[in-house]
Amino acid sequence: MSVWNPENVTDVAESIGIASLNRDVVEHLARDVEYRMSQVLNEALKFMRHGKRTTLTTQDVSQALRLLDVEPLYGYESIRPLRFGEASIGPGQPLFYVEDEEVDFEKLINAPLPKVPREMSFTAHWLAVEGVQPSIPQNPLTDPRSAELAAKGSSANSTLAAVSGNDNVTVKPLVKHVLSKELQLYFERICGAILDEGNDEYRSAAFASLRTDTGLHQLIPYFVQFVADKVTHNLKSIFILSQSMQLLAALLDNQSLYLAPYVPGIVPSILTCLVGKHLGNPAIDGATTHFALRDYSASLLSKIAKQYGPSSSTLKPRIARSCLKHFLDSHKPFGTHYGAVLGLTMIAGAQGVRALILPSLKTYDLHLQEGMKDDGKREQADYVVQAILRGLQTLQEDAVITATSNGHPESDALKERLVEAVGEVVGGRLYDSGRQGLINAVLEKDTTV
Amino acid sequence: MAVQPPPPSRTGSVGPASAGGMNTPTAGTPVSQGPGAGSNQNLNQIVLEYLSKKGYSRTEAMLRRESGNVTFDANGQPITFDDKFKGRRWHEAYNVVKVWVDSILDIYKSELTRILWPLFVHCFIETIADCFPGEGRFFFNECRKPFDDEHSDDLRELSNIQEPEHVQQNDIAQLYRTNKYRLTLSKMGFATLIEFLETKEGEGGKSINFLINNHLDVRTVDRAAIGGARGLQRLMEEKQGDEQAPAEDEGIPGHHPGSANLNPDATGALHRLQLAPLPMEVDLMDDVKAELSHEDSSRPPRQGRSTLVEQFEQRIKVEPSDDTAPSRDSIPFPPSTARDVAMEVQKVKENRDRFRIEGKTGGVGPGVSVTMFTFHNTFDSVNCIEFSDDNTLAAIGTAESSAGLPSFIITTTYRAFGPVYALSFSPSAAIPAPPTNGHTDHPTSPDSHPRYMLSSSADTTIRLWSLDTWTNLVVYRSHNSPVWDVRFCPHGHYFASASADRTARLWSTPQIAPLRIFAGHDSDVETVAWHPNGAYVFTGAGVGDKTIRMWSIAQGTQARIFTGHAGNITAIACAPNGHVVASADDKGVIILWDLRTGRLVKRMRGHGAGGIWSLDWSVESTVLVSGGADNSVRVWDVQPSKETHPKVNGENGGVAKIDGATANGGAAAGKVAKAKGREQSTADMISDFKTKKSPVYKVRFTQMNLVVAGGAYLP
Repeated sequence: MSVWNPENVTDVAESIGIASLNRDVVEHLARDVEYRMSQVLNEALKFMRHGKRTTLTTQDVSQALRLLDVEPLYGYESIRPLRFGEASIGPGQPLFYVEDEEVDFEKLINAPLPKVPREMSFTAHWLAVEGVQPSIPQNPLTDPRSAELAAKGSSANSTLAAVSGNDNVTVKPLVKHVLSKELQLYFERICGAILDEGNDEYRSAAFASLRTDTGLHQLIPYFVQFVADKVTHNLKSIFILSQSMQLLAALLDNQSLYLAPYVPGIVPSILTCLVGKHLGNPAIDGATTHFALRDYSASLLSKIAKQYGPSSSTLKPRIARSCLKHFLDSHKPFGTHYGAVLGLTMIAGAQGVRALILPSLKTYDLHLQEGMKDDGKREQADYVVQAILRGLQTLQEDAVITATSNGHPESDALKERLVEAVGEVVGGRLYDSGRQGLINAVLEKDTTV
Repeated sequence: MAVQPPPPSRTGSVGPASAGGMNTPTAGTPVSQGPGAGSNQNLNQIVLEYLSKKGYSRTEAMLRRESGNVTFDANGQPITFDDKFKGRRWHEAYNVVKVWVDSILDIYKSELTRILWPLFVHCFIETIADCFPGEGRFFFNECRKPFDDEHSDDLRELSNIQEPEHVQQNDIAQLYRTNKYRLTLSKMGFATLIEFLETKEGEGGKSINFLINNHLDVRTVDRAAIGGARGLQRLMEEKQGDEQAPAEDEGIPGHHPGSANLNPDATGALHRLQLAPLPMEVDLMDDVKAELSHEDSSRPPRQGRSTLVEQFEQRIKVEPSDDTAPSRDSIPFPPSTARDVAMEVQKVKENRDRFRIEGKTGGVGPGVSVTMFTFHNTFDSVNCIEFSDDNTLAAIGTAESSAGLPSFIITTTYRAFGPVYALSFSPSAAIPAPPTNGHTDHPTSPDSHPRYMLSSSADTTIRLWSLDTWTNLVVYRSHNSPVWDVRFCPHGHYFASASADRTARLWSTPQIAPLRIFAGHDSDVETVAWHPNGAYVFTGAGVGDKTIRMWSIAQGTQARIFTGHAGNITAIACAPNGHVVASADDKGVIILWDLRTGRLVKRMRGHGAGGIWSLDWSVESTVLVSGGADNSVRVWDVQPSKETHPKVNGENGGVAKIDGATANGGAAAGKVAKAKGREQSTADMISDFKTKKSPVYKVRFTQMNLVVAGGAYLP
């Protein structure tokens, strides 16, 4: 009935020599003990509250006992909560006790001194400045939006979801965004016009509008989303892809728009168009049309890099890294390699070509040779070679050559050196082009690096 | 005015006759008593007459008492409860009322629900007193649910009462037994209740009626006539907001709202208060004026700024209001010194140069700046934090019996004996060092640092520490329980303390015995605060009492009493204008009280449970800031609001009130409302600044309206 077991009362009674105790008395005493304990606890809680704490300590209890005029229990003073052990002294009779380690003096004396607790100290910071909480490390994270985004992580990326097939995920917008009727109409019209294959005039009018109109700020996220959507869903249609790229280009051209916050959202779409495995349908568009798209994307990318690279320190390295990854992956088709080389050339410039492309050309040569042998792939491989050559050209522009054509080496030796440096296919082409400056620039690597 | 109805007689027809339609004959009330009852009554009468004739007065009294306990049924047979009732008698009776209240009309429901709590307590106590511990426990656990929110502390104290002698010893039980719980009901509501109890006479109505007569002080009001706070309209509104808070006059001390008079028959006459600022000493005023004009001439104010003298004149100007100022004779102070002059001058300067907070204008709250001092490596041992008025010193009181002063220069640890629960610095003002680059013939200003600090501790003492010599000067012993709070008078010299011995005491620094003992609270006095003019002291009490009382220093009497909190009072602060006092409890509610009328102004919710440890007002008395255990500093608008029901702050209404620029604060507020569905903020919360895992122990507005907050980082 009561929490305090009457058996305990009997035990205590026996221990002080009272053998038989009336059952009623025992129960009464048990209830009384329980009441007294709760009384002590209530008092102790008071001390806890005034200590502005949420944990009850043994000190609170001894203070409470003192207040109730009871001799406090000694030996339990501890800041840490006491640990209770449980032992069984029979079936269903658990015994609780305070875990009290035996301390070996020898060990204790020889043990290294425990760390001194740190001195109490205080720091000051601004919790709020004129009603606004500054976002400094001393203040908690207050923006629930960022917290939610962090929690959701990649699963919130609708583009990925679309690729994996379940694109009907409805992402509830976190901020209510009111778009005027006019803007909605405008957006629909533009999108319709851009994808209208039959009407060139209509299309160019749309691009012109995007290029020049002010006041499209609110629509930017929608356009970015539109492009991402179209690109992921229409990899087979060169037309749609190139139109999407042109749309982005038009937006980038618009002087009145500030696109910096959206760059991270734009870049993936462009990269897809640049290094995508299979762009367009070779049966309809022809096997080489996608190279034009890749060219276009590369130029778009370089434009973004030029425009927004300075404001975002990680933008260029990120693009370069993903391009390089695709370039070094020999399982990818030549189209991807083409795009990757283009991208690297555009983004990283001459230094990039020297540092990233040149060293790997030798190994890449094997792959190229294979491609050259295969009739089906020769054309594609040829494009890649041209791209590489174009990349190498930047070296010539960049290089500062002190002694030009000062003593030509033997032509065969030169070719050998070239093949040694950049592989058979590219080396051969280079040699055939007969451009001394370019060759020197390529070979300069050997002398300077 | 509440008029006590004729006390309903225990038998026979009860209820105001005016309650038309209530006395339907079908109600089955025993209007006429059977012949048996008559003869029984007669018999008693004869015996009583005999006893009184013989002069056996004590026997007579005993008989009267005994016969009062025996209840008779309609046939005159003493009602003996069936065996099945026995210990369940009160339980059954309570259930009858509870079921009835739950199903009653909505217009009565909100007021009649309030009667359940005292009935519950008394039914429980009676069951225990009848020696039915098991049944008592069962009843308690069965029926405590609806009161868990509002009366959690009382429930905890009551929950372990098991024996009749516990009833005798338990504070709460004794409180309820020896006092009458005051409750105000509308006339109709009360009449309905009484009528219902009569119809259920046999099933416990009688028992409940007995409780109401003996332990409750039910006031009836005409709801239509009184309007206002108790009007029908208001009641319905409250219902909408699901407001479950005790009324202003409800509870054990039970007073007429706005009056401190506990006599139930007293009229609502109010003690006149002297709320105006304490007049300045004439000599001091002259000195200060001279000093200020000197200052003005040597450093003329910038364009558009008023001169210091003008500022000062404006400050001391006696406004044509009905406030009277306490006379200096009634509160004697030691004569002023050069230090006082310097401090007054500095106060005027700071007041002129302060950051002005003009209150909520156009729906946008003022932007308040908060500096947070976070204490590290405290291991939860810090009990209190205090900042000095000159903003140079911070002191902490810890559980390890010490009060430390971690200032920039000095770290001294004072040893006291027992945990330190409160600290208070003597008044001071931050006087900047005189500029050295200019040519000043200014004498070096007297040191304005706080001279003394008080600490109160669990060892029942209050100690005065000198901040010049860094030693303990005086030990004040008089309290006989731990001293929970101590506070210097705004003008120094006097201080007030609050203790677990249910008293607050007034002291002056040179005397080791208290000057006044303020007794009246029914439980621990948890916190104490001063009126800015130093003529009154506010005290707040904990479990069982939960009132705030205002005491006059000069008379030593209780000037006001405020009831309405549901939790322990944790902090009190009086506005610098002297008209409003704010109090906070550990349920997260802040209440503003108007001193002149003695009535509640408004309730403000938003803090989580666990205690609001500190409150403070801006210099203009337009903004209140609070800090509490829920790791937040909140800023409140104190204008009385028309809107009474709380509103979730995350929705457009609340956020719109917060300036667009304060998106951070607004978002945080929204998060709170979202995170804890139950925790709602009233719309008058201006902003909510969360700290990083640091409960806020102290908030303080400086003279320049900067908020200084202190807390301990508890990872």
